[in-house]
Amino acid sequence: MLDTEGIEDTSFGEGKNKNRIVLKFYGMAFYSRNIITLIIFIPIFLGLILSPIFLPFQEVLASVIPSSVTVSVTGCGNGIQEGSEQCDGSDLGGATCVSLGYAGGTLSCQADCTFNTSACTSGGGGGGYVPPPTVTKVIIQGKAYPQAEITLLEDGKVVTTKKADTLANFEIEIADITAGIWTFGIWAEDKDGRKSITFSFTTSVTAGVTTTVSGIFIPPTIELSKVSLQKGETLNIFGQTAPESEISISVESPEIVKKTIATEEGDWDYSFDTGILDESSYTTRAKATSPEGLLSSYSEVLSFYIGKGVPGVICPSADLNGDGKVNLIDFSILLYWWGKDDSCSDQNGNGVIDLPDFSIMMYYWTG
Amino acid sequence: MQNYNSKFKNTIILLIIGFALFPVITFAAILYLEPSSGEYQPGDTFLVEMKIDTEGECINTIEANLSFSQDILKAVDFSQGKSIITLWVKSPEINQEKGEISFRGGIPGGYCGRIPGDPEASNSLGKIIFRIPGMIVGELMESSAEVKILDTSQVLLNDGLGTKAKLTTQGANFKILSKLEPSKDEWQEELEKDNIPPEQFEIEIQQTPAIFEGKYFITFSTSDKQTGVDYYEAKEGKRNWQIAESPYLLEDQSLQSIIKVKAVDKTGNERIAEYTPEIPKRTFLYWIIILVLIGVGVIWWILKRIKK
Repeated sequence: MLDTEGIEDTSFGEGKNKNRIVLKFYGMAFYSRNIITLIIFIPIFLGLILSPIFLPFQEVLASVIPSSVTVSVTGCGNGIQEGSEQCDGSDLGGATCVSLGYAGGTLSCQADCTFNTSACTSGGGGGGYVPPPTVTKVIIQGKAYPQAEITLLEDGKVVTTKKADTLANFEIEIADITAGIWTFGIWAEDKDGRKSITFSFTTSVTAGVTTTVSGIFIPPTIELSKVSLQKGETLNIFGQTAPESEISISVESPEIVKKTIATEEGDWDYSFDTGILDESSYTTRAKATSPEGLLSSYSEVLSFYIGKGVPGVICPSADLNGDGKVNLIDFSILLYWWGKDDSCSDQNGNGVIDLPDFSIMMYYWTG
Repeated sequence: MQNYNSKFKNTIILLIIGFALFPVITFAAILYLEPSSGEYQPGDTFLVEMKIDTEGECINTIEANLSFSQDILKAVDFSQGKSIITLWVKSPEINQEKGEISFRGGIPGGYCGRIPGDPEASNSLGKIIFRIPGMIVGELMESSAEVKILDTSQVLLNDGLGTKAKLTTQGANFKILSKLEPSKDEWQEELEKDNIPPEQFEIEIQQTPAIFEGKYFITFSTSDKQTGVDYYEAKEGKRNWQIAESPYLLEDQSLQSIIKVKAVDKTGNERIAEYTPEIPKRTFLYWIIILVLIGVGVIWWILKRIKK
């Protein structure tokens, strides 16, 4: 795309074009009066031409960025025999009709990742292969905070809780689940009682196969020492994550990014000097990178104010009945007030209970 | 050349400002239909799946409004079986007269697209079941039917602010041919495969000053992973089953009746959840205590009379 011979002549010309730099690009000639303009011009050119290449890596500030989160699923259909699968596509895991007790023939794999022995031949009274009983199972592995209480949701409903170990690792097994499309949500409560945002992912579960979802890193918990400050005061932003993870704290807007490292116990904190901010309202959030390279999505977004404080929402975080949870009951309250005005349910304060209020409830969902 | 050079520079500067200021709009959610085209004939029943491509965004709320050629197509049902939507603010509604389909729902915690390794795309919002009435055979030599996703549809980001995602839509166009082959019924094939009832669920009794004037109500919700939940029915004590939606205001505010909620899928498979109130047990104990006290009172009265 870039003509490598495009920048042909950077010498100073004569006469009319004296003291001008000539830039030739795809047959077009451009003139510049001095070297400074050229220095500015070339990076701009390169930036424009190369920017589409980097477009997929561009970050969207408005929401959690899934492409930067390290979650993957292993299960039937990816062509690799793994976990409890007998086979997957053409990967038979080294098995043959003979190794399964038949005399010969061709072994193949069925769509549910079990052997298809219909083309195997049994030689005079051979016993043949009896497939082992299969269960549909999901295993979810990841990191949270040391000793954190992990809550797992299936399609928005709490199904189980489990404690993470001292290194913040957790593994949850869901046995006997119906095959189909499932949305799993996970949130964690740290040792100081702070709750994370719910991290969700949707995956298909195949019958008779163990689907393993790994690489989950629950977003850090976050808390502020104050929500209303005077310019120049220090704001402590703190929370928990996995031990020795790198925390990237973002204050908006305009975006200011600060970094810190969590302790061996997973605690992190950052003293933010508000002297650089004007009197206004701001938001802050954090994401983490574990020492193993796992990336979390952003934490809950918290607001703070420099100068005169702004009154908060009457029912914060979509907890409409004030029981500390956001679940079907809060959803029922929201539906009851749908299309009407209710100061508690009106999360965005636009005077009517509508789709943005529902969206805010989905964001804060705990099950 | 000078002029051209200056204009070129200005254009580049504007482009750079554009790139710098609007990184967010480089991504947009796409609502689309699958298949987007096909050939069918009168008497056929076929499925059109509505899907979403979040293009790297995390979203949590979807409002879909569709229109279809109501003179050619009959929308007979909507299957939520493989839908990623788990909470429905408005269950799918079909208005055959106007040729419209609409629904609103969400995904708690959000949906961020396909995760690496997932064998399926897992991005379905639901399936519309269309039938081409057989009686229009004579009238149609060859025609086309359109299904459009309307601009009133919206997708909201999972950002805690209810921000609308930039949205693009892709409809579908189907060719209707004169009848040549025996009719196909894709929906019947799906129904025949479904012998699994909806997922297990629980009934929760609630009371809050926020709604129903503080009266008791129940909440419930489940899903069916094959053809989808068709409807719910509720029953209190010896009262009859009646069609119900969550939240459901209880008739028996004394909470002495056993409450049952039945979830029925499109095939007719049922799952019943039951709630037995604790109060009747207490009432039983209460009556025993009352009887004992009455007994003691009667004996004391008799003894008092005998002494006199």
